[in-house]
Amino acid sequence: MNLNTNEKIQRTITVLLVDDHPMVQSGLLACLKYYDDIDVVGLSIDGKDALDKVGELKPNVILMDVSMPLMNGIDATEIITEQFPETKVLIFSMHDSSEFVHSAIQAGASGYVLKDTSSEEVYCGIKAVAEGSTYFSRSIAQMLIQTPLKQEYERLTTREQGILSYVAQGFSSKEVATKLQISFRTVDAHRRNIKVKLNIESLADLVRYAINHGLIK
Amino acid sequence: MTLPLRMFYIAIVQVILTSFIIYYLVTSQYRELSGMNVKTLESFFIAQKEQELKNYTSIALSSVEHIYKLSEETNQENQINVADIFENIRYNADDGYFFIYDDKAIAIVHPIEPDRVGESWWDLEDDNGDKIIQILLENAHNGGGFYQYKWLKPSEKIKADKLSYSTYNEKWQWMLGTGVYLDDVYAQLDNLNKEIDNHINYTKQIILIVALSSIFFIFLFGIAVNLNNKRRAEAKISELGQRVIDVQEAENRHISRELHDGIIQTLISIKYSLEATGMFLLQNKQKKPAPLKQAEENLAFSIQEVRRISHHMHPQILDELGLSSAIESLAIDFSKQTGVQINVTKPVLRKLLPDFINTTLYRVVQESLTNIKKHANASNVLIDIAMQESCLTLNIKDDGVGFDTKARKQKGNNGIGLRNLAERVEYHSGRFTIISSDKGTEIVVNIPISSFAKDFHQIITKVK
Repeated sequence: MNLNTNEKIQRTITVLLVDDHPMVQSGLLACLKYYDDIDVVGLSIDGKDALDKVGELKPNVILMDVSMPLMNGIDATEIITEQFPETKVLIFSMHDSSEFVHSAIQAGASGYVLKDTSSEEVYCGIKAVAEGSTYFSRSIAQMLIQTPLKQEYERLTTREQGILSYVAQGFSSKEVATKLQISFRTVDAHRRNIKVKLNIESLADLVRYAINHGLIK
Repeated sequence: MTLPLRMFYIAIVQVILTSFIIYYLVTSQYRELSGMNVKTLESFFIAQKEQELKNYTSIALSSVEHIYKLSEETNQENQINVADIFENIRYNADDGYFFIYDDKAIAIVHPIEPDRVGESWWDLEDDNGDKIIQILLENAHNGGGFYQYKWLKPSEKIKADKLSYSTYNEKWQWMLGTGVYLDDVYAQLDNLNKEIDNHINYTKQIILIVALSSIFFIFLFGIAVNLNNKRRAEAKISELGQRVIDVQEAENRHISRELHDGIIQTLISIKYSLEATGMFLLQNKQKKPAPLKQAEENLAFSIQEVRRISHHMHPQILDELGLSSAIESLAIDFSKQTGVQINVTKPVLRKLLPDFINTTLYRVVQESLTNIKKHANASNVLIDIAMQESCLTLNIKDDGVGFDTKARKQKGNNGIGLRNLAERVEYHSGRFTIISSDKGTEIVVNIPISSFAKDFHQIITKVK
């Protein structure tokens, strides 16, 4: 392929493609094979499966669908960026509403590409994200300007809520870390974030908050 | 429905019949018993009177005994003396007196009606045609006896029942008689009978009251049961309706997901295949043919169409990101369409709610926004989702013209949507309130934490 002949020296980017639809996977693969500097090293069909493969394949970039069974792409992104900060996530979705984009950014995604744009945009997104910058499809970028991230960072993420629930049930940070297979320090960081977001200092108040909001049975 | 109603009629008829039977039995028994009592009492009174008469007679006789014993059979003088004595004996305040007739019924002594003396009253009859003096004479001849008939009562100058005792004097061939009037006895018995009648009347009234109140209570109970049945039937219908909606929403959700995850993904894959074809041609220095371009354009259009339909049936965002994100997205679309400013306040937490509450609250916002667009003429809308006192509160407030909640309900036109939603919210154990004035409308939905707390764990473990 001669589209990128002038940048041939550049390293190849390894990509994990996460999409629950094999036909979309093969369609996109057919396009991406024309780009020499991209190597799709793995295919995954849902967020949970992707979690397992990331550790094994250590890809540079994950091309992540949002609507998937078992675990959706946004929740998976949150866990992946938490566990593998080296791996960048580029969301690849049909959803174009700002809520999805905001949630994805909050979860740690580096970019957002719509499925019904061209494969060239997907390629550009992968490249940009791999270099450590961000990339958004044109319509997404436009929308982000219109409705910028407001108090979105004030909201708890799914992961933080899960951790709050465990903490309120009396599990220690260590136990939570073991349960979620993440480091003790990560759990502690989450706990700090939760306290800041909820503006709560003591553990007793955290427990009360969780009970009052239905996080515990 | 009809069976209990029929049973109530049967119960009422039963009460009426029973009351009649009880009334009949009780009164007839009572009448019979008291009739017997009255009869006994009457004979007791009569027996008393008879004893009285005998006593008077023997006292009277003993008062003339000294003359009589000494006298000969035909001593005229003694007879006159004795007659004189009898003539003057009185008891019972002048109503008690003695009379004497001879065998030929000629009156010898009759102090009350002296013109009778000296004449024969052999054929004297009472109102029944009985020959009074003959019967009295006969009783006397038989050793003394009683006879009841009607005779003038001296104290009241009217005819009254009289009981007379007559004895016979062999020596002078006299019949001595005296009598008492029975009107006081009969007055007493009459009083007694009247009292019995009163008693029966009283019983009748009590039975009537008991029967009427029983019927009244059966009636009330019937109405209560009927109302209750009606209410239960209505509740059942409403619940059934809600279940139908449940099924409908689930079905919509399913189809929407099929479209979104199936057809659209297939179309997307076709899109990439077409694109790959274009790239292949480009690699071989060939231009993209027009039909391929056309196909790509048509495909893009189809994808948008299917997305639109899928989103209309059930917004995927609700399942993926939860209620507040879905509402925010709805609000942004609405603002774009209508130019109405919408502010959405979201809770810090997300994905707390189970699907059915998500869908219900989403529909509430959707319907409210539709109403605002059609009728409210509002320029600002506030949507607030928050946890308050163990309760999730959704508050939709506009600054439009408002509407009369009652009139809307009666007209039943556009209120139907909101009313159905209210029913739906209540079905999920929530509370639905509409406050409307000329300054705007506020719709408040409260969902108690208890109705979704148990689901959070399933949601969070699904994600874990």
